[in-house]
Amino acid sequence: MPKWGMVIDLEKCVGCQACTVACGMENNRLPGEHWQDVIFFTEGEYPNTQTKWFPRPCMHCENPSCVAVCPTRATYKTEEGFVLVDWNRCIGCKYCMIACPYGVRFYTEEKAAYGGPNMKEVFPADDSHSWNPPWKMPDAREDWKHGVGVQPHDVVSKCTFCHHRVTKAPPGTADLDPQDPKTREFTPACVVTCAPGARFFGDLSNPDSQVNKLIANKNGVRLLDHLGNKPQVYYLTGEGGSVPSGRALKKS
Amino acid sequence: MSDTLLSQPLSRRRFLQATGVLAGSASVGALPSLFTLAPVRNARASAEAAAGPETVVTKSFCHQCPARCGIDVYTTNGRVHAVYGTLDNPLSNGKLCPKGHYAQYLLYDPDRIKGPMKRTNPKKGRHEDPKFVPISWDEALDIVAGRLNALREKGESHRFATLTGRGWGYTDVGLLKEFGELYGTPNYNLGHSSMCSDASETVKHFMDGHHAYSAYDYPNCNYLLVFGAGFLEAFRPFNANMQNWGKMRTKAPKTKVTVVDVHLNTTGSAADRLLLVKPGRDGALALAMAHVILTEGLWDRNFVGDFTDGVNRFKTGAEIAAVYSQEDVDAWKQAQAEAAAKKAAAAEKAAAKKAEEKAKAQAEIDALKQKLKAAPDDAALAKKLADLEKKQADAAASEAKIKEQRALLDKEKKPAPQPVVGAQVFNEKWTVGLIEWWNVELKDRTPEWAEKVSGISAKEIIAVAREFATTKPAVALFERGASAHTNGVYNGMAIHALNALTGNMFAKGGLRGYQMKTAWAKLPIKHEDYMDDYAKSPERKKPRIDMVKTEKWPLAKNMMQEIAINHLAGAPYKLDTAMIYMTGAVFSGPDCTKWEDAWREVFVIDTSPYPGETHKFADLILPDNTYLERLQIADTYPYEGYPISMIRTPAVKPIYDTKTFGDVVIEIGKRIKGPMSEYYKQVGNTENIIKWMCEGFKDKPGDNGVVDFETFKQKGVWYRKPYAYLQKDGVFYKWDGQGYNTVMTEEEVKVEVMPTPTGKFELKVTELEHHADYVQKRFGIPPERAPFPQWIEPKHGGDGDLHFISPKLAGQAEGRSSNLPHVTAMIQPVQGGKHDVFLEIHPEAAAKRGIQDGDRVRISNKIGAIEVRARVTQTTRPDTVVLPMIHGHWAQGRWAEAKDRLPTGSTNEITENLSEPLSGLACYHSGLVNVHKV
Repeated sequence: MPKWGMVIDLEKCVGCQACTVACGMENNRLPGEHWQDVIFFTEGEYPNTQTKWFPRPCMHCENPSCVAVCPTRATYKTEEGFVLVDWNRCIGCKYCMIACPYGVRFYTEEKAAYGGPNMKEVFPADDSHSWNPPWKMPDAREDWKHGVGVQPHDVVSKCTFCHHRVTKAPPGTADLDPQDPKTREFTPACVVTCAPGARFFGDLSNPDSQVNKLIANKNGVRLLDHLGNKPQVYYLTGEGGSVPSGRALKKS
Repeated sequence: MSDTLLSQPLSRRRFLQATGVLAGSASVGALPSLFTLAPVRNARASAEAAAGPETVVTKSFCHQCPARCGIDVYTTNGRVHAVYGTLDNPLSNGKLCPKGHYAQYLLYDPDRIKGPMKRTNPKKGRHEDPKFVPISWDEALDIVAGRLNALREKGESHRFATLTGRGWGYTDVGLLKEFGELYGTPNYNLGHSSMCSDASETVKHFMDGHHAYSAYDYPNCNYLLVFGAGFLEAFRPFNANMQNWGKMRTKAPKTKVTVVDVHLNTTGSAADRLLLVKPGRDGALALAMAHVILTEGLWDRNFVGDFTDGVNRFKTGAEIAAVYSQEDVDAWKQAQAEAAAKKAAAAEKAAAKKAEEKAKAQAEIDALKQKLKAAPDDAALAKKLADLEKKQADAAASEAKIKEQRALLDKEKKPAPQPVVGAQVFNEKWTVGLIEWWNVELKDRTPEWAEKVSGISAKEIIAVAREFATTKPAVALFERGASAHTNGVYNGMAIHALNALTGNMFAKGGLRGYQMKTAWAKLPIKHEDYMDDYAKSPERKKPRIDMVKTEKWPLAKNMMQEIAINHLAGAPYKLDTAMIYMTGAVFSGPDCTKWEDAWREVFVIDTSPYPGETHKFADLILPDNTYLERLQIADTYPYEGYPISMIRTPAVKPIYDTKTFGDVVIEIGKRIKGPMSEYYKQVGNTENIIKWMCEGFKDKPGDNGVVDFETFKQKGVWYRKPYAYLQKDGVFYKWDGQGYNTVMTEEEVKVEVMPTPTGKFELKVTELEHHADYVQKRFGIPPERAPFPQWIEPKHGGDGDLHFISPKLAGQAEGRSSNLPHVTAMIQPVQGGKHDVFLEIHPEAAAKRGIQDGDRVRISNKIGAIEVRARVTQTTRPDTVVLPMIHGHWAQGRWAEAKDRLPTGSTNEITENLSEPLSGLACYHSGLVNVHKV
């Protein structure tokens, strides 16, 4: 059984948000429904201000707070390490959204924040989908049990580690490298598109995987590790990782 | 699978939803019965499920900026649902910037134009409904041809103009020159480049002979010095920049990066050093850096050359004679004599000392010998004597050997270069004008001076200059941050000169070179053969409406920002009909509202597939296909120098009644009376042109096996590595098939690598010498100073007490994402701009004006005013406010126009139409504004 995990090299990430946009495209997200997002914050004072950023997918925690609180067991963790939402079971109570320390979850009925008409109303569905975008993924790819595709009304959704792509990889694959034609189509969208090559995806349970080597060689750390969720997303901070910063003045 | 009640898992949730019990469900009113549950999948989808999805991947290249990254377009059963970077494409390498993933949103934009239309409301205005009615293509093209033929009959064909923006090449804007020459208008391709980045091309043209953007070798670069370019936001090719960033920052050695900009953007944040310069003062920094490089002897002697006698005469404030005078020679002879005397004295002293030591040793030996005579059986004494004698012999042998070696070295030593009266003080190798430049300008441009002008400390300027000059290889680059100012070209010249001074021109890891051309085949038909007497008549030689290549703008390539005001003034004449392609100056041109006045008087043909600002003022709409519906070719944006060309293949048939612009031009051409129509009938359409041109691949197959039209479509790209030229240690080499082995002569370098009038990198620009009068007129500079990079005080447009900058961001480079809410939601991440874009304002500036974070403010000057929300932030200079040039549309679609979004107008409503005189570049970043709380 693989334990899928992601590694993000903060020394290479340039904050362009191609990952955010690629995820939105691959997974038919509404504008602003950033399953993958890049968090920006600013520290310090002019002229010594520093702007920093880090990409934030779902952490697919080993110990997920969201799973612990879900009243219908709509959100669950699979044997391969995915934390997913079953849209057939989700009742939209949003308890998981409160519980998640990383803020990675989205609710369909949230007010549109982008201005202008609501895209759901511009492309309405005539069935129980919450909307029907003309660029929707092939219907056969949709998978409500695993939270993939355009969701129905009144449910919570989040990053699936591109479950519909990753689970097609041959068993025993150690890493999903988008530069390798053999594994590219199985690689999560955000990892495929990252131009500086800051993102990696692989099997954390395989000691020879590249993701494990990167974590060991380049000081891989987890966000909010003191909370005990044990994320399966690691950040490589290079030389800058050892001292946590409390100087952040404002989060965008 | 049939759509029955039981065909989908019937969850409690959806059961409740269907019966209308749950709040928020779609159905209202009476409870439907259990047996009228809406099917989960609609009819279209179930057909798919039955057939099994078939995904087709077609090749194209992105449309969101000029980089032309190769893309794979994923279409399943006629529905485009994804775009990723093509893996085996040397530009995209499987990756994309955020913009690359907009393709399907643009294809399916609900506000797209559905077919040709004509205006029925004669009144034109921002808030006037044009009352377009749909017409057929035949009717539309006849309307155009009718107007064009009528103009021709009156001898007024010059009053037809085509304005172009993001053209791609041979099958769109590349068709226009022939069209113009056949038809009889000089205004056949009025390009937008003067509203883009012309200054950098002009600088390169002046100094290294290439009117183009440069190709850079980032993966091997060890120092990157960026002036006013959003390297990680919009500088091209952006996708490749980011790929190279990943390599540069994690390779060994790590590339060091210094950025010069006016606010803290992601590029500045990610750099190792950020210099927050006062807007328009980048040139002062570069001049001071050049000063340090020369005074500290850090220039590259292999490339630039050296003082004949090796003595560095670059001293602050001191002029340097070009040739040796008698005094110089006398002084040198004196210095040589003094040195020789000193050497002789030292040698004498050493010899004396040595003689003394020798005598002492001999005395010791003699004494021992005496002792031994008295006691001949003393073995210890005998041994001691033997040791001493051996030591003496060894010393003598060693001395002899050293003497021999020294003699040999002296024999091979080259004589020290001797100054001769009238000989060059400095032997310049691949540059020209260094000493003159020093004397005329550079000698006084100290870091202390630059500190006063730019606000950057002398200490930092010196540190950066030293780092840049001593870290090899290095690149100094600039774009509009430094050049969209009235002193922009002179700023750019100072910056570009840094590459030459440090020997990084055409070098590995440096400014690698310029773009080589693709081996396209020529068309089997020549348009010149179809020109009638009218077309050939000297009457046709009229000035362009943008006044390029006239006395007004003798060196500019385009002056789009002048078209509206020239037309309004009737100087040189009034336009009658204008066709607009991929550009919209009525939103994006400086002082944009002038275009509204101009377009009221002109018959405007808009070809955009979207209802933008131009559309509101148009009389006729000839909507283009979007790029996923087009067959089209292009040559690469300058990248690494080796030739690359790319092709778009349609992923889907046009979903509306739209036509590719190039084919529209041909169709219009077919309807013009005279032999011109015969030419276009022969050409047929753009697909024919592409097929003809691809014949050139037979003899020059691509590295990836592309040999013809079919293989070109399959791969999406043709390219042949490597770039043919290399400069190393002051020698130019040409690729011979195996390596950079062929040494190039000066003449060959002049023709193939640095085609300036002198064949060298011109620090003294010949072309500016020829235009010294123009320079004097526009800058007030005496003619003898005109050709040199120098400090010019920038003029600022608008009025007010704050500098106004309108940069691009990673989510939008050119104007094609304003109606995409997916983009709006991530567009200004540093400032939290997800609905509006915010005006960055420093806390001091804000406090002075009683502005708090989030307040609505009015930005105004003599040009106009717009309102926007303020973001009080530490990321910008106290004297500079920043608003990305992205939103503020009053057309372009339901999201772009949304009333609940800010800013209320284009940044160009407060940007004065001021142009840099040499390149004609619109000075977008030079303006001043006032900011008040509303």
